Amino acid sequence: MIKVTPEKLQPGMRLARPVMNRAGMALLGEGTELTETWIARIQDMDLEGAIYVEGKLEMEVPMDEMLAALQRRFQSALGNQRMELIKRAAETHIRKLYE
Amino acid sequence: MSEVIESKILRHRIENIGSLPTVPETLKRLSRIMEKQNVSLTEVASFVQSDPALTFRILKMVNSAVYGFPGRIASVSHAIMLLGLNVVKGLLLGVSVFELMQKAMTGLYEHSMGCAAASRIIAQKKGLREPEEAYVAGLIHDIGKVVMALEFTKAYEGALAFAETEHISIMQAEKKFFADNHAALGGVLSEKWRFPKKLTEAILYHHQPRSAVLFPLETAIVHLADLLTKARGLGFSGDQIVPVVDDAAFDRLELSEQDIINVFKELEGSIEATQEVLQQ
Repeated sequence: MIKVTPEKLQPGMRLARPVMNRAGMALLGEGTELTETWIARIQDMDLEGAIYVEGKLEMEVPMDEMLAALQRRFQSALGNQRMELIKRAAETHIRKLYE
Repeated sequence: MSEVIESKILRHRIENIGSLPTVPETLKRLSRIMEKQNVSLTEVASFVQSDPALTFRILKMVNSAVYGFPGRIASVSHAIMLLGLNVVKGLLLGVSVFELMQKAMTGLYEHSMGCAAASRIIAQKKGLREPEEAYVAGLIHDIGKVVMALEFTKAYEGALAFAETEHISIMQAEKKFFADNHAALGGVLSEKWRFPKKLTEAILYHHQPRSAVLFPLETAIVHLADLLTKARGLGFSGDQIVPVVDDAAFDRLELSEQDIINVFKELEGSIEATQEVLQQ
């Protein structure tokens, strides 16, 4: 899922989340494929927040940095079986974010 | 070294949250409503509706992808019918305390949102009937820190620095400066606001889940959710390190490594959806 501003929408993108108006009502459902018309209407609507479309997220922090920070957070828990399990799960998850 | 702030003084501030100058007006008014015995659905709904910004935020929250019914809840009364009074009270508190949390400690709100979402995800996995209650418990589990950091800013900064230099948890570091820790004070607030015992216990014992006698499962959920949020590095709770998980609480939840990976995965989506709610 990628977060984009209304100006960056392109025809053919598919909504990963419904588009909501300011009152939180859904205007376009999840999975809708955007056409030029829909995009023009979304851009006219003065929505707040971003639009979520399907695709892979660009990560801001490099993976090595994320994993190093994870190591530091778990430094005092080494040798504890349950903490090792949680750490492995977190590491697997973080690696997946970059695939 | 500075003196330890007494329990009596801490509890007095908590009891009088409605008159503290650092607390915004909306939260004071909300606090007064929540303290009432047998507050009715109508009272809460009309209180919320008297405040357009609050109405907007709460409707946006319940209509967001975080809950099961995106875009379908049109009024505050409708939200209370669907989610229950306690959950709506908790969500109101969550959205009202947002700015205050940001002011108290940068990153605390992100941490709280993460913990709320993780609590809900785990509660669902464990088949709890009201996963939203777990969400609320997660959202306000660190409310004690807000009062401590706002009312005793210097002492709390001292505790944060102490935790960092000594490589200890913020919970341990608080001991040097405060007679009561944030969990105990959060429990006092939860009682004051007449949240159900289930919530109070989860807040009170989120660092020592084995003390929970009435609701050990709910408490274990918030304990683990808090820890997983720290493990993932979402927001900032005052802890530079992930505190060691309570054995009994962890075992009670019977989550496999794959289950935990799945919690992290679901957490990723929830976070963004909730954060979006607060951007105006």
